[in-house]
Amino acid sequence: MDDLEYIPIAALNQYIYCPHRCWRMFCAGEFIDNQYTIEGTSLHDRVHTLGEGSREETWQVRAIWLKSERYKLIGKADLIEVENGQWYPVEYKRGRKGEWDNDELQVCAQTLCLEEMTGQSISNGYIYYAHSHQRQLVEITNQLRQSAIATIQAVQTLLTTGEMPKAVKTKRCDGCSLFSRCLPGAVDKVGRYQEAT
Amino acid sequence: MGTVYITQEDAFIGKTDERLHVKFDKKTILDVPLIKIDGVVVMGRATVSPAAISELLERHIPLTFLTETGRYLGRLEPEVSKNIFVRKAQWQAVGESVQAIHVVQGFVRGKLKNYRNLLIRRQREFPDLDLSAYITRLEQAIAPIDTTNSINSLRGLEGAGSAAYFNCFHQLIRATEFTFTTRSRRPPTDPVNSLLSFGYSLLRHDIQGAIDIVGFDPYLGYLHCERYGRPALALDLMEEFRPLIVDAVVLSALNKRLLTPVEFVTEPLSHAVSLTGEGRKTFLRLYAQKKQSEFKHPVLGRKCSYQEAFELQARLLAKYLMGEIEKYPPLVLK
Repeated sequence: MDDLEYIPIAALNQYIYCPHRCWRMFCAGEFIDNQYTIEGTSLHDRVHTLGEGSREETWQVRAIWLKSERYKLIGKADLIEVENGQWYPVEYKRGRKGEWDNDELQVCAQTLCLEEMTGQSISNGYIYYAHSHQRQLVEITNQLRQSAIATIQAVQTLLTTGEMPKAVKTKRCDGCSLFSRCLPGAVDKVGRYQEAT
Repeated sequence: MGTVYITQEDAFIGKTDERLHVKFDKKTILDVPLIKIDGVVVMGRATVSPAAISELLERHIPLTFLTETGRYLGRLEPEVSKNIFVRKAQWQAVGESVQAIHVVQGFVRGKLKNYRNLLIRRQREFPDLDLSAYITRLEQAIAPIDTTNSINSLRGLEGAGSAAYFNCFHQLIRATEFTFTTRSRRPPTDPVNSLLSFGYSLLRHDIQGAIDIVGFDPYLGYLHCERYGRPALALDLMEEFRPLIVDAVVLSALNKRLLTPVEFVTEPLSHAVSLTGEGRKTFLRLYAQKKQSEFKHPVLGRKCSYQEAFELQARLLAKYLMGEIEKYPPLVLK
């Protein structure tokens, strides 16, 4: 695995959403926008403008690259803050909390990078939800670390082998911008189909 | 979404903001938002501005060049799909593999069943016709398909079935001013053949667009063998659609007398027959209407247009070759 390329932190998020979608995006190079991705992109256009500054006692830096040699991770952070000498990441999300549970894992992956880059141990991060304008505390628990590391390994395997995970139809498929390419219902439908004689 | 056909000889194709702009003789003859376009077909000569070319490529809109009679010349191809896995699966199945035989069975079965269903429908509509002998011959070609495991023998069944169909094709034409004896190509020497050839050439543009979107290599096919510059897979996937779209449009154009002999011109010496400018516009309109018409997709169980069905069938083919589904279901319509 020495020559493995760095894996994008964003791929972790996609993998939790749906391993097949992750494969389509990061192995097959497919991407189509839909209303949700466009909303997300325009939110990130605002966030992803490199800059630093201070907000009261907090020093902020936006849109910087995060990297971990240990986990072979790479990605861009929306916002990194330092308060009383303590670093932590803030991830911006459209919508509200609880739509699905991968946001915390993404913050944890950013934390792993930030720990390696600063040599500091970090126990908290935040998610800013654009819909409610609220910051949500993310505790970087051991359990969260373990599941982040497990996901990193799963994505590494996916990217190294290129093997396609099966498309499984779930409720999430309705909001997926790759629905029309993936046709998740096709397996069952083709299986049941009887061609007219 | 649709295909823009530019039939005006010596037109100028340019781009203004987010729109495709076609001019002739300094007058605007077409002005459409690029977002509504998924293909541009130029028939005959036209000038395309550099800005229009890069915009079309940027937006992944293919630009196809046909001669004024509809013969395929070539195509400006946007960036090839990054989905290497589809191409890999496509290449792995090349030759006499289980998958290649299965999909060829599907293409041939789809085409012949649609031929047969078209004849059955016409027979019902026009009780004076007796097509039963041809329907029987088609049945005889269809029956052994699924147990025939050589691609060459499948080509034979396809040939036998097509022959039966074209042997009675003249009976389907109710307009007495038109006759049909046999399929003639390169060049077509009668109006009916010229319409069929023109229609197949338009269909091929559309199918090639669909297989490009899915990420196939258009030049590697299973039923049609490799030959330099021939988009064999597009020709393969076209088979099941030929009767459903082109033959249906040709027959209705003739039988409803939307096209009459005045819309055709014959070259001296070669006897090549082609449509006049007006005739071409009429035919293109009918073809475009057909593509947009909707039906219930028998496999997916939902409404779709033929235009969407091109891509759906290409996606189902990719899914079969990649092992996601157990069979390739050709589009067979009653």
